[in-house]
Amino acid sequence: MISLLLEPFTYEYMQKAIWVSALVGGVCAFLSSYLILKGWSLMGDALSHSIVPGVALAYLLAVPYAIGAFFAGILAAFSMTLVKQKTKLREDTVIGLVFTTFFALGLLLVSINPTSVNIQAIILGNILAISNEDIYQVVIISAICLICLGMFWKDLLAVFFDEAHARSIGLPVQLLKIMFFTLLSAATVAALQTVGACLVIAMVVTPGATAYLLTDRFGKMIVMSVLLGSLTAAAGAYLSYFLNASTGGLIVTLQTALFLLAFLYAPKYGLLKARRSLHQKTEKA
Amino acid sequence: MLQPSPILLNLEKVGVTYPNGHTAIENISFTLQGGTICGLVGVNGAGKSTLFKSIMGFVKPTSGTVTIAGLEVKTALRRNLVSYVPQTEDVDWNFPVLVEDVVMMGRYGYMGFLRHPKAADRLAVQDALERVGMAAFRKRQIGELSGGQKKRVFVARALAQGGKIILLDEPFTGVDIKTEDSLILLFRTLAQEGCLILVSTHNLGSVPAFCDQVLLVNKTLLAAGPVETTFTEENLAKAFGGMLRHRKLAGSDLHDDKDHRAVTVLTDDESALVFYGHQGDKKIISPEGGGDGSP
Repeated sequence: MISLLLEPFTYEYMQKAIWVSALVGGVCAFLSSYLILKGWSLMGDALSHSIVPGVALAYLLAVPYAIGAFFAGILAAFSMTLVKQKTKLREDTVIGLVFTTFFALGLLLVSINPTSVNIQAIILGNILAISNEDIYQVVIISAICLICLGMFWKDLLAVFFDEAHARSIGLPVQLLKIMFFTLLSAATVAALQTVGACLVIAMVVTPGATAYLLTDRFGKMIVMSVLLGSLTAAAGAYLSYFLNASTGGLIVTLQTALFLLAFLYAPKYGLLKARRSLHQKTEKA
Repeated sequence: MLQPSPILLNLEKVGVTYPNGHTAIENISFTLQGGTICGLVGVNGAGKSTLFKSIMGFVKPTSGTVTIAGLEVKTALRRNLVSYVPQTEDVDWNFPVLVEDVVMMGRYGYMGFLRHPKAADRLAVQDALERVGMAAFRKRQIGELSGGQKKRVFVARALAQGGKIILLDEPFTGVDIKTEDSLILLFRTLAQEGCLILVSTHNLGSVPAFCDQVLLVNKTLLAAGPVETTFTEENLAKAFGGMLRHRKLAGSDLHDDKDHRAVTVLTDDESALVFYGHQGDKKIISPEGGGDGSP
């Protein structure tokens, strides 16, 4: 029995899949704590889809995919700002417009050059087949993200909580925001291979949302979110060995399951707690 | 003899034109010293918030200069000379931060690289919370507070920051009367300690109650000076144009004797309710229509 449970660890590709997933899951979860507070979840979705043409082009030109993805992400963010500034369209319209355009462009590129890249791998992810070069990229991106976030997490909180005050204490607000979105683009690139472009959004939303229901302190929320993100990602990769199922699908399903638990049983903000206090009130009355 | 307070805030012909061509303020010059509570009064859209933003370096004046204690705005901010108390609506109260976390943010400018609080920072936070009477609430999530308590937390953050200039944006909106009184008392103490308190408001009634200087703005500076001489009916009419509800109650409206003194009621959004007369024989006078009826 135990040998069966340990079996995935005897394969190198499974070991890699598990720890790379955990790393990416943790980084995305860190970012998710900020995203969900600002209502920017859609931004994460938009970014992850917008980088597809960049990845396709990078494969075509045989440069590291992270570079292509990164420039596509920046270009998408720039286009969104431009369209928003020059028109009266609302933000969600602009986001929807730009990211579908980029995504379509990506599909088009791949269909014209069908042999150059496996688009399946971008959209759905395939962590089990990750190459060593890709692992280096993911590790570098994750390390940079974790270092920056670790150093500036309080500054970022101050900026997102009250920008005016952040300025009044002399924080470089604009620079910090740019840093955050750069890290977000980089992290979504890293997460592409684990869960694919479609499910990246879950990685940068769900762990934060779950942790938010469990605590009133931002520091604790980050720790919980990162733990949830890493553990579910590792567990998803691990379980995919036995179930022979999509890693991305499993990771996100696990994350959602934990969210539902928090939604029902969270000590302060859970549904059952709300019910109970409502009952107590009506009984007293 | 008292030493003249040092000049804390100096605006020299400041103008702001936004990239879309809209000129929010132009040619505004004034000088304010420490130890003052100054009201910044004007209609909505008169450029009050633009003026605040240019003092805090959010918008760069397209003309003129702002100096704070003789320094450029950027340098002054880095030295924590300016504290800002936002409007209650400007803050997302669902953030997972506790009262003490918010006040601690006022100390970030003093902390090192990783913003790790030292004993002095904790002391400043404790002290600030005590001064606004919120020490008992330090472990509460901010969303659980009442309007007045929320405001006091943000004033505490400004105190913890220790700015010489404190900017307050509509400090009494959504605040109970008890908090308003205690805040006014606190502002007076801070002014005595040498702070300059600049309050943006369209709550006219509160201005004579606690300001000693007033700036009347409508795109440009219409009048500036001590409240007694500047906060006059004439200047307010200039500042507000036809935007104010205005009702003059002459002596003959109010009583039958020969006293010619009149009561003037000015308000902006809400209509004022004015009682006049003795207990039991009270007249309710509607400053709107002018009709007076018995209850």
